Amino acid sequence: MKSKSAPPKSEKTGLPKSENETEIKIDPVTRLEGHGTITIKLDKGKVSSVQFNVNSARFFEKFLEGRLAEDARIIAPRICGICPEPHHLASVKAVEDAWQINPPEPAKKLRELLLLAKQISSHALHIYVLAAPDFLLGPFAPAEVRNVVTVINKLPDAGKKAIELMKHGQELCAVVGGKSVHPVTAIPGGMTKTLTEEQRDEWIKRMDRAMELVDFTAELLLKIVQDYWDVVTKIGVIETYYIGLAKNGEHNFYDGNIRVMSPSGKIEAEVPARKYMDVAGEQILPHSYATHIFYKPAGYPDGIWRGGPLARINVVDKMSTSKGNEALKAFRDKVGRPCHATFAYHWARVIELIDAVGKARKLLEDPDIVSKDYKLETVEPREGVGVGAVEAPRGTLIHNYWTDRQGIITKANLIVATNQNIGAIEKSLNLIAKQVIEDKVYEKVKLPKPMITL
Amino acid sequence: MANRKKVVFMQLSSCWGCHQSLLDLHEKLLDVIPLLDIQYWVAAVDFKLDHLEKLPNGSIDAAFIEGLCRTEEDVHLLKLCREKAKALVSLGTCSTYGGAPSIANLYPKRELLERKYLKAETAANRNTIPSENVPEIADYVPQNNQIVKFDAYLPGCPPTSGEIANAVLALLSGKPIEHSNKTICDECKRKKEEKNIKVFKRDFEGRPDTEKCLLDQGYLCMGPGTRAGCGAQCPAANNPCQGCSGPPEGVTDQGARLVGAFGGIADMESPKMLKSFPDPAGQLYKFTYASSPLSKLRRVKKNEK
Repeated sequence: MKSKSAPPKSEKTGLPKSENETEIKIDPVTRLEGHGTITIKLDKGKVSSVQFNVNSARFFEKFLEGRLAEDARIIAPRICGICPEPHHLASVKAVEDAWQINPPEPAKKLRELLLLAKQISSHALHIYVLAAPDFLLGPFAPAEVRNVVTVINKLPDAGKKAIELMKHGQELCAVVGGKSVHPVTAIPGGMTKTLTEEQRDEWIKRMDRAMELVDFTAELLLKIVQDYWDVVTKIGVIETYYIGLAKNGEHNFYDGNIRVMSPSGKIEAEVPARKYMDVAGEQILPHSYATHIFYKPAGYPDGIWRGGPLARINVVDKMSTSKGNEALKAFRDKVGRPCHATFAYHWARVIELIDAVGKARKLLEDPDIVSKDYKLETVEPREGVGVGAVEAPRGTLIHNYWTDRQGIITKANLIVATNQNIGAIEKSLNLIAKQVIEDKVYEKVKLPKPMITL
Repeated sequence: MANRKKVVFMQLSSCWGCHQSLLDLHEKLLDVIPLLDIQYWVAAVDFKLDHLEKLPNGSIDAAFIEGLCRTEEDVHLLKLCREKAKALVSLGTCSTYGGAPSIANLYPKRELLERKYLKAETAANRNTIPSENVPEIADYVPQNNQIVKFDAYLPGCPPTSGEIANAVLALLSGKPIEHSNKTICDECKRKKEEKNIKVFKRDFEGRPDTEKCLLDQGYLCMGPGTRAGCGAQCPAANNPCQGCSGPPEGVTDQGARLVGAFGGIADMESPKMLKSFPDPAGQLYKFTYASSPLSKLRRVKKNEK
């Protein structure tokens, strides 16, 4: 990684603080969606502090105030262009909760299908575009080639399959959500449209093809995990709490209770979304615009938790398909429950990918998915408070709105998925900085010969 | 390949949706990517900022800007891209008109910060506003073209992958990006009739007919004031157009265009019509608030103070 190194300057004098202190800045963190830098301070060669600086905020929590509640489903997805579907759905669920509306079952199934479509494309993107280059080219490959373009050029078969898998996910998002990015079809009271029978038939076939691609991805990824086993089990392993939705104990992206697991693997709490404030606290750090969300009863920083694939795989008792459960069993047999290895996120992501494609196919076979009963005829705005929680690719996402009699938002509180992980990212960076800079761990762990050589 | 064009995909404060739309070219990416020598793209390649800063001025063929200037860092990155690039392209509605996040201009910066960091219901320590090793938040969101000059605009939230591919290919071959002055209504396939609206509905009311013009049914569809290009995707999904591509070519004020269009078809007294707009800024400028005269006027007043 490239970094610029300069002694930190005293804020008052502008002079270096001490000859012994140096600072490494990684600016920006690449292959991530968003704005982040890492600031590492060294004192006589020892890591004295590590900051993960998230460099921007757009204040959706504030400017949702005054908006029509049904417009939040359009505005809030602009928080994240990789995961607009979860925002769209958390928003509509929050409004429906505030207005005490229960949409028809077929609408809920269409929404779940939309969310699964997004998990498929986002997980594939995360694996192939954001993560794989590090492993396929190895950690010492030059920065200018360590990217998906090289993967496509050097492993064209894998590259094409990656693109095809993302395409199935994104195009299913468009068919159910109306647009491939920033969906519009979920609305208080249901959905604006359903699927036609022709679409349903086509997508059942396409999910069969997607499963072939997922099988290929799983095989590739498990080989990577095996090759890098020393890295997975020795670098960046941190004990944290975990948060994820579970519906009757089962893995579910759209619905369920919020479950919290302790570092020792105990289910510490299981509460309905409406009670999210009992478990979630936000610590505001001076060096990051993104807050650190944590398990409130344990306090900060002890209560730092993680969300996303590894967290969900830890908190749930089972997946929703038999193939997903087989994959989960193989994972737990090998690494146990809970698994604290940060690099095991990639493995957990593949388990979710297998389960998501299987679940999407199951939903497509459900007669409700083409039902005409996709929206309530009458929807009345009212004064109320509502909470909507869904799983976004990177963690549990919660929207909380207060509405007035006209159905206008008077206040909004958002717990955004990525922020579930910011505290833990910083915690793991602290450890990894010490492991890399002080212990030179990269000389001690077994690294495979890169699959791609230049 | 020696004749690859040097490009930068820059993300200012934004959601990354325009870049997702670029990736949504799918297998066509295999045709486009080999034409590009990507010199900066935070989400996909590993070049750091110092790499971009060290490149000679004017050495980049085209820089595509996604996002808005919410922070001082955004302003720096935007100016940097202007210096480095021969052609600066505004990619998406945030960069072109401010986008949805520019609705924040309705509130003073102090209130934005207070709500998020001091008053959030879940905030545990209500005593900190981030200020260490993070760039300062700007007082308001300007339109990017108030900061630097752009050579081309490609609004849309996001622009479709086809629109992005056409723009990239046009630029690489030195052709101008073609713009149409048509609106969403021109490309919408719904059946339109003589309009005579007695009452405007909210989007969640009833179940709209799937064939007839949504505006004819009383839904506040933003089609008449929104530029064509996306293929009228939202009306096709039985959802009113939300106006996310901004105004058609040649129109600067999307809200004023919409008010004119709605006024022309509404058969109701103005007080009744006004009741249909409890949130005019959010309803009529949902994606273009930074570019609206209202936002600019408020800013002038603030500066005068």
